[in-house]
Amino acid sequence: MSQPVRVAQLSCGPEHSGVQKEIYDAAAAVNAEMFFPDVTLNDIRESYGAFGLEARSADLRLAIARAKALVEGRVDADAVFIATCFRCAEAAIVRNELRRYIHENSDLPVVSYSFTERTTSGTLLTRMEALTTIARRRALLAREVQEGLTMGVDSGSSTTKAIVMQDNRIIGAGWAPTTNVLGSAEDVIKTALEEAGVARNDLEATGTTGYGRFLIGEKIGADLIQEELTVNSKGAVFLADRQRGEATVIDIGGMDNKAISVQDGIPGTFTMGGICAGASGRFLEMTAKRLGVDITELGPLAMKGLSGEVPMNSYCIVFGTQSLVNALAAGSSAEDVAAAACHSVAEQVFEQQLQEVDIKEPVIMVGGTSLIEGLVHEMGKLLQTKIVVPPHSQYIGSVGSALLASGFIRGDSGEGA
Amino acid sequence: MAKVFIYPATSLILSDMVERWGHSPLGAAVAVREHIQSPGLDSPPLQMTADDPKRGLKYAAVEVPSGVRGRMSLFGPLIEEADAAIIVNDADLAFGCMGCARTNELVKYLIRKRGVPVLDLVYPSCDEDGVAFVAAIKAFLSDLSGGEP
Amino acid sequence: MTLYTPTHVGTVTKYVFVDSPDITPQNLSIRAYEISRGLMIKETCFGLQITGMPDEVARVIAELRTLDPSHIFVKDRGFPPGDPRRCRANLGGARPGYYGHEFEVALLRYISRGLDRIAACEKDGLPAPEAPPKKLYTTRLDVKRLKKIIDAEEP
Repeated sequence: MSQPVRVAQLSCGPEHSGVQKEIYDAAAAVNAEMFFPDVTLNDIRESYGAFGLEARSADLRLAIARAKALVEGRVDADAVFIATCFRCAEAAIVRNELRRYIHENSDLPVVSYSFTERTTSGTLLTRMEALTTIARRRALLAREVQEGLTMGVDSGSSTTKAIVMQDNRIIGAGWAPTTNVLGSAEDVIKTALEEAGVARNDLEATGTTGYGRFLIGEKIGADLIQEELTVNSKGAVFLADRQRGEATVIDIGGMDNKAISVQDGIPGTFTMGGICAGASGRFLEMTAKRLGVDITELGPLAMKGLSGEVPMNSYCIVFGTQSLVNALAAGSSAEDVAAAACHSVAEQVFEQQLQEVDIKEPVIMVGGTSLIEGLVHEMGKLLQTKIVVPPHSQYIGSVGSALLASGFIRGDSGEGA
Repeated sequence: MAKVFIYPATSLILSDMVERWGHSPLGAAVAVREHIQSPGLDSPPLQMTADDPKRGLKYAAVEVPSGVRGRMSLFGPLIEEADAAIIVNDADLAFGCMGCARTNELVKYLIRKRGVPVLDLVYPSCDEDGVAFVAAIKAFLSDLSGGEP
Repeated sequence: MTLYTPTHVGTVTKYVFVDSPDITPQNLSIRAYEISRGLMIKETCFGLQITGMPDEVARVIAELRTLDPSHIFVKDRGFPPGDPRRCRANLGGARPGYYGHEFEVALLRYISRGLDRIAACEKDGLPAPEAPPKKLYTTRLDVKRLKKIIDAEEP
């Protein structure tokens, strides 16, 4: 086994919230080890003073000193994990500023997370996996061109997708709602291979991503089993043809949302949230159902409406739907209700997640929800930018997977680099 | 022998003074030891689990961060048990169990609310301060029943 | 979920800090070994950690204090000595509580001065030194102190 990735922990509260073990477990699952950068009391005094952010909590001062030690190269690390208590205002300010400070002043990949006592290692796993991937597989992630014949499978919480690529082109695609994880994967793989006109044995390499990645990856003998944060970043910049420079990738999924600040196709900082279903694709599905339209019709419908015409005062999927029902009963048009639903999801993602990453243009929206025109429109209004939705954006994970998997054809994956 | 809550609860100086003059210091180590020596689910380093912030609901509402409630589950019972308290008010460089300012505000408030004798101090910064600091603690502890005269 | 089975149940661990011109941590540990009667003693850079049943630990500490009462300081510890959960070698850096000790250890000389003065007063049958209440977070220079500074000025 390769050397563990050393992840520096900057935190306040996990030990007393009973979640430090969860952090350790998530790290161990991806062959990483957490450590606490060594500083002296004098370092804490000086760093805290020099950083200039007045935090009253001593553990936050310690986190500041540790961050400075990392940025100034006094302590070596491969990646940084910043964790503070959910709902602590002081910690949220420090967490955000430290994340920004490390991102702007070092090459260290960094993820920040606010935990509750209910946070489990399972919740942290994808984030930790992405951190270690960025640290460990830089050579693999630097790949910009798909070569040979490869397939990527993305097993999401709502839908399963497969893409077959050959010589940097998409030649086959399959899509199905996720029911039985393996069964849905088999269906989409079959469809994609048929459309591509190739046999499974012809594939030179395969990759899997999404919630079902381990199960499917093991079943099909995938060369690459990879979390969706790095894979989607890669897929997004590939499809949007923005492989170099800065970009922001937003993926509003069925179960969780990802906001990733990307540099040259590699995530620098990212957040992955999903506490409330009101900020998910699921809410839009429910809205479409209530309006009696197919989800594919929701976007165009929303584009004809005005979101401000419908009062929406809750982010909750249940109460939010209730607001929509009330609005319909009060005579609001289906168009306005559709627009309000799109606005509500965009606003919640904007408020709860996009504040945790630095928005750098271009902003690329991907995943199934990026096809909902009204949602993209509302997000663009909030961010005051024209959002890029690349072709095949709903297949983002599969494309990223197929692209990265091609690194395994000639064994130049960069493993161990 | 009186049980004296010390603030900062991690203080070497206060723990020593209280014990030196025949009383029992109630500090973080006492509460942590109880966790470390109790069987349960393995949750290093402090063997605190998600149940501890839930126990902290006795002292702070659910919208209060889990770290505050977890810490309160350590300090709350000690405060309830205390016969007296010594508070060093400028303890800005106490970390870990005392690393959260919000918890510390609540801890001090709950001690004062209990109405037990409280000695308020600041850390000494010269010899003269040191003499006054120690003399104040000794006088305070001598007035509590059961200590060394 | 793994079950946790504690060790050292019923014991206490105490830190013994020594900050003395006369006694080194090594002197302290030699004396501790002499009188320990099977207690667990761990030497550290600042002094000792002693683990054992509460009465036995109290007995040894009372004895150790007599070596240099104003310069030996004792505190409870939650963990047994060398516990990997708090060990610097495993954590990469010091556990948070270490910095608190580092801060207070720098103040021990003032405390020692106080202990010495009180002991001297008691020995000579003099009243204990006064302990005027001190204002928190004094931002302005105290008038008495200002006078002292002026008086201390060389003519």
